Amino acid sequence: MKSIRKYAYPFVSVLAVLGLLFLAVPQAMAQQDNDNNDADDNFNPPPCDFNNQFYADNGIDVTQLIGRFGDNGGRTRLTGPPARGNQHNFVVDNTCTTNDPTRNNIRILATTGGNADDGNSPFTCASTDPLSMPHSLNCASQSAVEPETFEFISLIAFLNSQGPFAQGPYLRNVGFINGGLQGVQQNHGTDISIGETLNVDGQTIVEAPGQTLRGFAMQDIVSNFEAYASIRQKTPHGFALNPCSLAMIQNMQDPTATTVPQPCFSVSDKTVNGLLISDVATPNLRQDWRFATNRNAMDGSDGNDPFGTPPSSKPFGYFCDDLLGMWIITYFWFTTPPNDPRCSSILGPIGAANGLTTDGTPIILTAFELNDRLEANNCGAEAQEAVDGSDGGAAFLICPALPDPRAGAITSDAFLDQVFNANGSPNNPILTVNFLSLQNFGKFPNELTSTQLSQLHSIASSHGVPF
Amino acid sequence: MPSPKGKRVSRRDFIKVAAGAAAAGPFFIFTPDAFASSKTLKIAKWAHFLPEFDDWFVNVVAAEWGKQNNTQVTVDLIPVEEVRERAFAEVAARKGHDIFIFPWPPAEYHEHVIDHTGVYKTVAFKYGTVQQLAHRSTFNSKTKKYFAFSDFWMPSPLHFFQDYWAEVGMPLGPVHYGSLLSGGRKIRDKLGIPCGLAFSPTLEGNVTLHTVFYSHRAYMLDAPGNVLFNKNAFAFKTLEYIQALCRDAGTPDQLTWGSGGSVQAMVGHKASSAINAISLLRTAEKQNQDVARRLWLQPPLLGVSGMGVTALPHVTNCSVVWNFTKNQVGASKFLADMVDGSRKGYEKSLGCNFPIYPKTVPDIIVRLNKDPLAYPPSKYTALKDALHWTPNLGVPGYATPAYMEIFTTSLVPKMVARVITGEQSAEEAAKSGAAEMQRIVDKWNQ
Repeated sequence: MKSIRKYAYPFVSVLAVLGLLFLAVPQAMAQQDNDNNDADDNFNPPPCDFNNQFYADNGIDVTQLIGRFGDNGGRTRLTGPPARGNQHNFVVDNTCTTNDPTRNNIRILATTGGNADDGNSPFTCASTDPLSMPHSLNCASQSAVEPETFEFISLIAFLNSQGPFAQGPYLRNVGFINGGLQGVQQNHGTDISIGETLNVDGQTIVEAPGQTLRGFAMQDIVSNFEAYASIRQKTPHGFALNPCSLAMIQNMQDPTATTVPQPCFSVSDKTVNGLLISDVATPNLRQDWRFATNRNAMDGSDGNDPFGTPPSSKPFGYFCDDLLGMWIITYFWFTTPPNDPRCSSILGPIGAANGLTTDGTPIILTAFELNDRLEANNCGAEAQEAVDGSDGGAAFLICPALPDPRAGAITSDAFLDQVFNANGSPNNPILTVNFLSLQNFGKFPNELTSTQLSQLHSIASSHGVPF
Repeated sequence: MPSPKGKRVSRRDFIKVAAGAAAAGPFFIFTPDAFASSKTLKIAKWAHFLPEFDDWFVNVVAAEWGKQNNTQVTVDLIPVEEVRERAFAEVAARKGHDIFIFPWPPAEYHEHVIDHTGVYKTVAFKYGTVQQLAHRSTFNSKTKKYFAFSDFWMPSPLHFFQDYWAEVGMPLGPVHYGSLLSGGRKIRDKLGIPCGLAFSPTLEGNVTLHTVFYSHRAYMLDAPGNVLFNKNAFAFKTLEYIQALCRDAGTPDQLTWGSGGSVQAMVGHKASSAINAISLLRTAEKQNQDVARRLWLQPPLLGVSGMGVTALPHVTNCSVVWNFTKNQVGASKFLADMVDGSRKGYEKSLGCNFPIYPKTVPDIIVRLNKDPLAYPPSKYTALKDALHWTPNLGVPGYATPAYMEIFTTSLVPKMVARVITGEQSAEEAAKSGAAEMQRIVDKWNQ
């Protein structure tokens, strides 16, 4: 996709100009907004959780979600990762439902940053010219604070199995109106039912479980959107070359394995001091998230055309179909230690270009780097957790990306959830700079005026991330 | 076999003979009213998995076209496993049928067929330009010639028994290859039911295995047509995966099933999952509704290494007009006119034949949502986006002669068998398989 962000602003601008011309009111020109970051510049709502009915409409049984923000009377995951110290992950905010009736009143403060690797990234040029690893010359002129690669998401809840997709028969009324048009309009609405139960040999079987109101199985939609989690491989017992899950090892790393080699890195949740810590909580990660959204552009700018030459199409659009912003988690890891000579020629150039993770391994930013360099050369592997929940960690996420993180979507009380190095510095300081720019000015750095950019330099320096 | 010329064939007679043809391999010939005509059109067609489709094709499509075009049309139904050799026999003899209809892209015969561009152009007037799946399945990028004409295809979703998978905590199916292995193992351990993916040298075995390799990024050939197999770690790792799947979750029968063996195992409720055309589920619906209710569809498994949700087509229906036939004009016209029947063909195939031209079945999504034979009626909704997750045989390139020879000679099932039986290690089999592929590519490059 060509970035929504990239096109939305000119599009809105053109509409605004056309509107002014149509009105042809001279005073309006005199009163035009001078980009002063006031209320009318903050037209993007901040992220909030969905309400239970919207989950059900999309085939999710909320009672089976794990670690959903605000469960248990507002106590679940109020503090603890992603929040640090005394931070809260969310606040109660009744404007959420006003802005969007599909939301509840839990506004998410923890804003998890990551990198999109699906063609919406400046690093994509690497894959168009694989021989010029890691980046082709086309990328050389890109700004160091180029925003297009970044995604900001809200880690609302986890699914450790496909259980929450198996919502049973669902019946709801739509279109009910009582008193519209000054009390005149009445409509009983229509009952919509999904699924039914039948008895087969004494067994009760739910037909079509987990379907959305639009007739898709939610699991089928979500399986198209992969979020890449990178669990730390440095353990107290040494560098772990595999997860602590035989099934995940057998998936691709070593199908002949019969035991889990040690040391291994954990892929199951933990409870620490009464707090649930997901296996993919940010402190457990060696680098920030990567996302393959495969999404269709709302404005058609991706040229999505299944009949074209070459075809350009994905089965579902993230923002069009994955209405809960869900992901299937693909774990990826290195199968050799950082300095192992067998893979040094593969890992070295990637690390030189992208920097290093908290483990000292290269940061992986693109699908090309993971698939065509690491995995193709047996230097890396990937797998998903078993969907029966037997691995004990997150298999799926409810973690919607902000459609447009500008113009008010990142509020002043939000905080960036990102991976930190051992010395406390962010592993990806450019991500921090972009977040601060969005939070303070509602824009990406490359959209700022020179004055604003100067201010951003000061703000970033005060956060310990000069650029 | 001598043809019973001049004899009108009743529907009952037809079904008898067609069933015999499918089982034993003799071909069947139909003679329409236009027998007295001097013009003839002889068609060889692979025997459809659902005989009712062939019944309609022979008795309605061919017969009515013959009447309208004053032509005597004969149709011979050929079992899938005999298609390749029969076609080569006709090429060698430079005589036989006017039209030969394959269940896969017949790229190997590109030197012996007409350029079908004209057929596509004729159809384009009514139904629009050819879509990608057909284009990449029937276009030779070197000669710039369409070596075949494609009018329908069949997706390859995952079929799984909800009751078996619910027993191991996966009531909605395995989702990805990791869970196929881990869940399949648990099902076999707990219930004694193996997974039912076909690995044998059959059409279903080839489609299944080519899908598994492609989903694991183990390309046979790259886009320009060079051998890519075993030039990275994907090939032998995929072989190891398949070996583990058969050893830990499968059955030795997977290697020896004949054509339709996987279907029989599934319809008998004796396997937990399979990659197949929906003719599998349709067969279950006809034979045992109780089994059919437990049998569910899912889009293909999520592949590894960025491959996403994808599966190769079970069938790409491709017709050729031989360049040695005398009735090239009539044969080309038949192919173009055949598309007019796509909507009926979709119905007669019980929804198995997805149209290449979407305009011919514009309400296909509605039909998938409310299938009259399925329980529940929405069961086939999983196929809504089938065109998006189905690339052509030959992907990431076109269906080239070399790729299709790899496919039709069952090189991949044979390679897999060597690993599963212990004859070779995964590394050895990947190496020898790549060498065989290189030999085929070299032959076609000469």
